[in-house]
Amino acid sequence: MSREPMTSPRPLRIAVPKGALYPDSYAMLSAAGLDMTPLDDQGRHLIFSTDRGSMPAEYIIVRPTDAPVFVANGGADVAISGEDSIVEADCDVVELVDLGFGACRFVVAEAESSAGAADAAYRRRGALRVATKYPNVTRAYYDRIGVQADIIKLYGNIELAPLSGMADRIVDITATGTTLRENHLRVVDEVFSSTARFIANPSAARIDVRVRNLAAALEAAVSAASAAGKE
Amino acid sequence: MVSATPRGFRDVLPEEGTWREQAVRRVQQCFSTWGYDPVETPTLEALDSLAAGGIATTPFRFFDDDGNQLALRPDVTLPIARMVATRMQHVPSPLRLRYTTPVFREEESLRGQAREFTQLGVESIGMAGPAADAEVVEMLVEGLYATGLQEFVVCIATVGVLLELVDAACDDGAWRQAALDAYHTSNWVALKQLAMAPQVPPAFGRALSALPFISGGPEAVEECREMVTPLGCQDGLDQLDATMGILGATGLLRFVRVDFSIMNSLDYYTGLVMQAYAPGAARPLGSGGRYDTTLASFGRPEPAAGFAFGLETVLGALISQGEVPEETYVQADCVVGGDEPSQVFKAAMQLRARGLRTQIIDDPDADLAACARARGVRGAWRADVSGMPQPVAMPLQREEPVVSAATRPRGGEVR
Repeated sequence: MSREPMTSPRPLRIAVPKGALYPDSYAMLSAAGLDMTPLDDQGRHLIFSTDRGSMPAEYIIVRPTDAPVFVANGGADVAISGEDSIVEADCDVVELVDLGFGACRFVVAEAESSAGAADAAYRRRGALRVATKYPNVTRAYYDRIGVQADIIKLYGNIELAPLSGMADRIVDITATGTTLRENHLRVVDEVFSSTARFIANPSAARIDVRVRNLAAALEAAVSAASAAGKE
Repeated sequence: MVSATPRGFRDVLPEEGTWREQAVRRVQQCFSTWGYDPVETPTLEALDSLAAGGIATTPFRFFDDDGNQLALRPDVTLPIARMVATRMQHVPSPLRLRYTTPVFREEESLRGQAREFTQLGVESIGMAGPAADAEVVEMLVEGLYATGLQEFVVCIATVGVLLELVDAACDDGAWRQAALDAYHTSNWVALKQLAMAPQVPPAFGRALSALPFISGGPEAVEECREMVTPLGCQDGLDQLDATMGILGATGLLRFVRVDFSIMNSLDYYTGLVMQAYAPGAARPLGSGGRYDTTLASFGRPEPAAGFAFGLETVLGALISQGEVPEETYVQADCVVGGDEPSQVFKAAMQLRARGLRTQIIDDPDADLAACARARGVRGAWRADVSGMPQPVAMPLQREEPVVSAATRPRGGEVR
């Protein structure tokens, strides 16, 4: 009679975000003992598998915003995902480890040239017009501060919205603030700050021992990385 | 014009319907052997009575012509609480009730989730203590097993430890709410950050961060006890320990794990909590626990516990575990025809009495063997002048055991 969590016969499936989080995700998973070499030559493949490293694994490369969705719906057992994407996706995942990298901030910004215009528009209209790629985060923020906001969902080049006069403000993520400054946008408030997280499907987190093992290995890798950083 | 069902609602076709019906029967049979009686509550409830039990918002609300606000039930526990506090108020406890019923939940667009699903569950009312807890845990295990599922885990815990830890760690209401929210959303990163807040004594902070990672067999209860007893936050652990002891004696620990990460819906549960998971199911199969304060809000202050699991989720897990019933669906066991409908009906009655699922062919000239073959049915009969069924020769195609799909055993005993 076994009381250990059961292990599904298929390899653990790991969603790895493409884009800015990719290099650190790759490094961190390698440091945790996984064989990441199948990802070195991706070609046109979508799924990569390995029998080497600390455990057999399957990797899928996903858009960062999709990582929580894959995990919540069982398309992947675990993923690395930015806290920003997790909050925006608002789906059922277990957040296991703060991986420390990928730091960015959710900020509210407006055009430097139109300081005070947004507040004036709010007084006049009773609602702010806010453009964002993150409508859920934006909605939660304005609900929290008790401001009526008309949210305009955009898919890119958010900076254009206030510059073109389409919106009073934007809610967007920024790592260094460079893009905002270059576009003459000024931060007026901070919503929250985000880092990359190791997340798991709620079922896998509870019944698949490999998830807990990998979380522990990643925790150790994070500690080692931060110790190395301090030296 | 093409009409689809509304998003999140669907039709069930015969093949799946047969499977569902068989699974439901086995589960109902299982619950019945525990002495639980079937009850039904209305599809619609007055919104006020749901609100009394703590469901503030629910989808699918509307007004009837009298101006009453009604809601499709999102849950069966509250309607049953209402029922036992009203029409059953003079029926003495303990009450053991079971149900099979569709419930309705809102799910956001574009998430691929159903909004109607069938819940199978039980409520045990007027009983408290480790034996009462063990009863519902074991019934959840046996109920899931009765569906044919063999790989699953029922995670159990008790909410007292967490509530006491959070209360003792900090007297700031906002911090407490944030800590419970972090727990509720399984955000262990946020929980750890909150636990390291300067106003939290380190021993409490460490315990709070570690709590969701405590899991395993009966030894996990001890592990938790060692951690929280020095802090005075061991509420419920004795009972959980005793419950695990009873379950151990029944040999069901293969399916049961202690897991302190599953404590959620904390505004509702007061002791035992459970959550069932299976490989191949991304979402919990079912959940439940002890809710000793809910009945009081309906005017019958009594302890209670229960659980429900989702038929569709469980059958989905069976499919991903490759446990789909092997028999291909057949409409019936045999066909019967004849010259006169009166004779055919008499013959059909006799065939049904033998336990054969019988389809009537209303065509005196039909080739009954061909009809049977076309339907994938194994037998063909012709009614004689006295209404007796006479076998029609079927050209032999393949040897198959003649066992009705309806009577074929599936699943089995847990032990």
